[in-house]
This record gives sequence, C-alpha cells and structure tokens, in this order.
Amino acid sequence: MTPADHPVRQLPASPHLAPMFARAVLSGLHRRPRDIPTDVSRHRLALTERSIDPDHLAAYQRLCGFRVSDRLPPTYLHVLSFPLAVARMNEGDFPFPLLGLVHIRNSVRQVRPVELDETVAVEVWADPVRAHPAGHQIDLLSQVTVGTETVWTETSTYLRRGKATPTAAGDRREQPQPELGTVARWRVPKEIGRQYAAVSGDCNPIHLAALPARAFGFSSAIAHGMWLKARTLAHFEGRLPEAFTAEVAFKTPVFLPSMVELAATRLDSGWRLALHDGKSIRPHLAGTISPT
Amino acid sequence: MAARRAAILGGNRIPFARANGPYAHASNQDMLTATLDGLVARFGLQGERLGEVAAGAVLKHSKDFNLTREAVLGSRLSPRTPAYDVQQACGTGLHTVILVANKIALGQVESGIAAGVDTVSDAPIAVNEGLRRVLLDANRAKNLAGRLKALAGIRPSQLVPAAPSNSEPRTGLSMGEHQAITTAEWGITREAQDEFAVASHRNLAAAYESGFLDDLVTPFLKLSRDQNLRPDTTIERLAKLAPVFGTRSPNPTMTAGNSTPLSDGASAVLLASDEWAAEHKLPVLAHFVDAETAGVDYVHGDRKADGLLMAPVYAMPRLLERNKLTLQDFDFYEIHEAFASTVLATLAAWEDEGFCRQRLGLQAPLGAIDRARLNVSGSSLAAGHPFAATGGRIVANLAKLLHEKGSGRGLISICAAGGQGVVAILEF
Repeated sequence: MTPADHPVRQLPASPHLAPMFARAVLSGLHRRPRDIPTDVSRHRLALTERSIDPDHLAAYQRLCGFRVSDRLPPTYLHVLSFPLAVARMNEGDFPFPLLGLVHIRNSVRQVRPVELDETVAVEVWADPVRAHPAGHQIDLLSQVTVGTETVWTETSTYLRRGKATPTAAGDRREQPQPELGTVARWRVPKEIGRQYAAVSGDCNPIHLAALPARAFGFSSAIAHGMWLKARTLAHFEGRLPEAFTAEVAFKTPVFLPSMVELAATRLDSGWRLALHDGKSIRPHLAGTISPT
Repeated sequence: MAARRAAILGGNRIPFARANGPYAHASNQDMLTATLDGLVARFGLQGERLGEVAAGAVLKHSKDFNLTREAVLGSRLSPRTPAYDVQQACGTGLHTVILVANKIALGQVESGIAAGVDTVSDAPIAVNEGLRRVLLDANRAKNLAGRLKALAGIRPSQLVPAAPSNSEPRTGLSMGEHQAITTAEWGITREAQDEFAVASHRNLAAAYESGFLDDLVTPFLKLSRDQNLRPDTTIERLAKLAPVFGTRSPNPTMTAGNSTPLSDGASAVLLASDEWAAEHKLPVLAHFVDAETAGVDYVHGDRKADGLLMAPVYAMPRLLERNKLTLQDFDFYEIHEAFASTVLATLAAWEDEGFCRQRLGLQAPLGAIDRARLNVSGSSLAAGHPFAATGGRIVANLAKLLHEKGSGRGLISICAAGGQGVVAILEF
C-alpha cells in the first residue's frame, strides 16, 4: 500500500478504453525503450460515486460462468479498476508502452462481498519498477472502498520483456508442485476474446482476432487472463469464503478456441489450482485461493 | 395412523434399443404411451381411473413439459387419471416408484403407475445460446426498431445449434470420464470388469430363455429382446476392445464392452394397496419397504471417496440402519450397472474397513455380499440403460424374483448424474 498522502487525481468519469488502446497502437509500438526509471510517480487516479449497472453485471456474470445475482463476483471490480489502470499506464511518466506489456500475475483480495446496490470508489496507482528474470515488472494496484471501508484490493503485475536482470533471482518463487488431478474441463470459445472485450472494455488487439495477435507474436488470438481467472473462480460457486485472496500467475497463453482443464486440490484452508491444456506440463494459469 | 406397505403388482417395458437403432424415430411420448398401454393390457386397466401416474425422462424436450399427462391422455387409461413428471437423472425411474409407493402407504391414493422413458436418438437440440439471448431480447423489445436492433445482433456462428451433451454441467467431464477416475482410485481391474460384463449378458440371456421376461416385456417396433444383449460374448472377446474412458491415464480399463451403451426405451410399474389388488383380483408380487437417497461432492470432494457415481454407497448404511438390517440380509441384489466398474467400486467401498469407518461412520465395514445373488437376471450392461427407464425395469424384475421365490427381501441401488444415488428395499 502506498502512503495515503500521495496526490490523488479525481477523474470525472471512467476513462474510455478504446481510444486509449487506439492511441497505444499508434504510438506505443514506436516508443523506444529508454533507461528504465525505477521510481515511478505514486499519484493515484480516482473515481468516486460509481454505482453498479445491473445489466452490465449480469452480462459479466453470464460470460464468466457466475450466477446472475446481487453479489459482485470477486473479479468483477477489476472491470471497474482496469480503465483507471490503463489510463495510468498511458500517462507520460509511465516507464513502459502499454502494448507489449504482459499481464503475468493478478491477486484479488475480497475483504467482504460487495452488493449490486452499493456505491463504490476506485483508486489506482503504480508501484516502483522491479527487476524480473525476463526484463522488468511493475505492479498496478487498485483499491475499492464503500464509504470509508476498503472492501476490495487488487495487484496486477505486468512484465516488460527485455534484458534479463540478474538481481531478480530472488523473484523466482516457483517451487515444484505435486501434480493435481483434473476436476473440470471447459471450452474456451473462439468469440470469447471479443465478447470479454465488449464487457470489460479490454480491447487489447491480441484478444480480438488472429491478425492483430500475430503482430504481437501470437499465432492466434488469445483469451484474456482475467476471463480465465474469473471462469476458474466461478467453478468454486458456493465454496468461496466471504473474505479471501485469489492469486494467480498467468504462465502460457490460451489460444482461441481451446479446451482447458482445471486441476485443483484442497489445502488446509483454501485451494491450489492450475489450468492446463491437457497435454503439456506447464499450465496456462496457476494459483491459490486463500481465506483471509 | 400406521403406514401400510405399497404392493408391487407387476411391470411392463419395451425392449431397450441401442441409440439410433429401431426406436430412432420414436419420441419419449411414443415410447411411454406404448409402455403404459402394454401395462394396461396386461393388467386389464382399460378405462381405469388410477390414483396417479408418475413418470419422467432425463433428456426432455421443452415441449414435453407435461410428458406423463400427455402419455396418459393417449393411453387406454381413464383420461381422469392425473399424472406428473419427475426428474432425478438415472434415479428418476426408482424415484417415481418411491413417490407412488409413499402416497399409497399414506392412504392418499390406492393405485398408481411409476414409469420412466428416455431416448438419446430423439434428443432435444437447442438453439445456440447466443441466438437464444438475441431472440429473447428481440421479444422483450417494445417496438419494431428495438426488435430490429436486437436482431441485428445475430451472428452466423450462432446459427449452429447446441448439441445435447451427457457431460456434467459443473465439470464438463462425461460420466465415463468421471467413472474412470473412480475406477482407477479403487483399483478396479480390466479383467474384473470384463468378467462382470459377461455375467450380465449370460444372466439376461438365460432370463429370456427361461421365459422369465415374458410378462415383463412387450415387443415394440419389431424389437422383441433388448438389442444390446450379446448372449455369446466372452471374456476373450471383450478383452480385445480398446479402452474408451480414462484413456490419458497410464492404465485405462473401461471399454464399450464393460460400459452401458446409450439406449432408448421405457418401463412402467403398477403399484397399489393390498386392498385395491384384492378387489381387482391381481396377485401381489412384492411390497415396497423403504428407500433412501444420497448425494456426493463430486465437484470439490475427495477423488476416491466422492466419485460421481458413488452416492449409493452413502445411502445404503442409512437405509439399513433405519430398517435394522445388515447388507447380508437380502436374497437378491439389484445394483444398476452404469459401468461394470461402478458396481465393483460400490462393492469394494462397502468391504473397505477404513472407508466404512472414516466416510460412512460405521464401526465395521458393511461387508461382502454373495455375488451369486447379484443381478441374477442381468442388468444394464446387457439390457442397455435408457436413463429414466432403468428404475422401473429393476423394480419389476426384483418384484418378480421375490414372487417366484415366495419369500425374502431384495435390495436396489441406482447411481445418478449430479452425484446422486437412490437405494430401496423390496420384500415379498
């Protein structure tokens, strides 16, 4: 958490994502990597008095496999915080171009469930750049409050590929894990990238169609990591605690369309899970659900 | 008022057909009506107003919202006989028997028919989910412009219909894939499964040869015996079949030979009070004693103990305890053969001391049964398994076995999709 005295810039409305992505496509690709500034301005972008649109919530719940209900899925608030995160990443002082950043990790903490009739405030800021074995990584943090109560927080880690930074050895937290048994399988349809883009506003071209995806080195369009995470959490309907943290690492892309298999095992408290393609050992996504 | 026991007077079914076989063009309503009429003819029920008819189908068209009532109206029964639909996956057939028997026991009705039907050949095909949403939105629109705007959302990909699937909605795994996990966890061998399948075919063939099924089955669409029956199958022949489920595991064991095929068919059972049976001069074959249902957490539970088709394992000790009986106190056992390994894993669990202590909360295992009393006139591996029709087949079969013996008790165990199980006791 950043200290509360960093300046806050109130936004009048949620920023529109499509123009920001369009601008990023036009300018971002040509932006030359400079010396990476490790210290990043910690100012916050903020949105207050944001109410939840029931139709939008239902569309999100349907698309991700949640029940349509008054309770927000644990990943839903990401859809509210994401435009602010993109706005932050599009600001001049942000050290990396938006396109080309790879979402490698996401941690969502639900302090308590949020209901449809609540009015929320969202704040987003960036943390300093850190070294990563494959380049540099940066965290975008979000915090959602109802009144003065923090109800939800999120950390999204993005990787900017580049020269390996040896100092990052300590960041390799991967330990060998025993194999988990398959507990479910589902189809990731070809249209899911466009459908999730429509609901979430995340119209990063790598999710929309094969052609733009190829421009970024993928053989076809790939699923949004946050859709995969949401669909995975939806599998745990009725079993998630009121307060918990769901942390996943995005390891390999899911090309559209695909069949994916969920493997999961119960821990003393919570779950360990991984999403596979059913063949290779390296998962698409791996993580934990832990009561907090 | 002390509850009385419902009497089972007999049953009727059509021979079970393999999917897309002789019944390919028959609907659930066609097969159920034919089966009810066969029962009417056998027991002289023309124009009779029965207390009720309860029936169901697992794969059901939305137009068949009143399937059973429609079948009654088309049958020779009195059109004043009320009816309702029931669905508990493969437990449907047995559950209709429980419902009718309970109403008889409480004195709410004097007679009734419990039935079930299923077709995978004439299965419902739904419009694509995306198209369905667009059409519903268009329907909700208040004016032409709104409707056109909604309809503009139709995409060519949405014109592909949604095919029926027999996978579990929560896991996306087929029943066979789920059972393959259970089979491996309980170490059920290929040899044991094939041997069990051969016995099912031999027993059913012998039942046909001896005439046991003559008053239980009525021919339909030129089929007079269950189409799947292979009287001459052997362990050697079954051993040649390639595994079809759990094929990514190191040692897959489940084949088309030791799994039930997708089938079409229907069955019905006539139940009544002893008084009604006497008035109608119909002999009582057996009585319905008690039943119990259970569920397992196959979505998030233990891979060995919470297998999709393991719920009867949990229902059984509760049923036995309530009736002060042990697993060995029965003359006949009818365990539905969803897969050979389902029956073998169920028996293994009841014999497993650690499992019975930890998961069933028992002091000692339920123990082994005399295998010579198990599925003595064949079961689903040989006959086939039209989901909702299996319960009625088994109940009529067991009632007749008890009637022929003239004494004793029989036990029924049926597993169902959604991790459910139904078990029941019949007595002469």
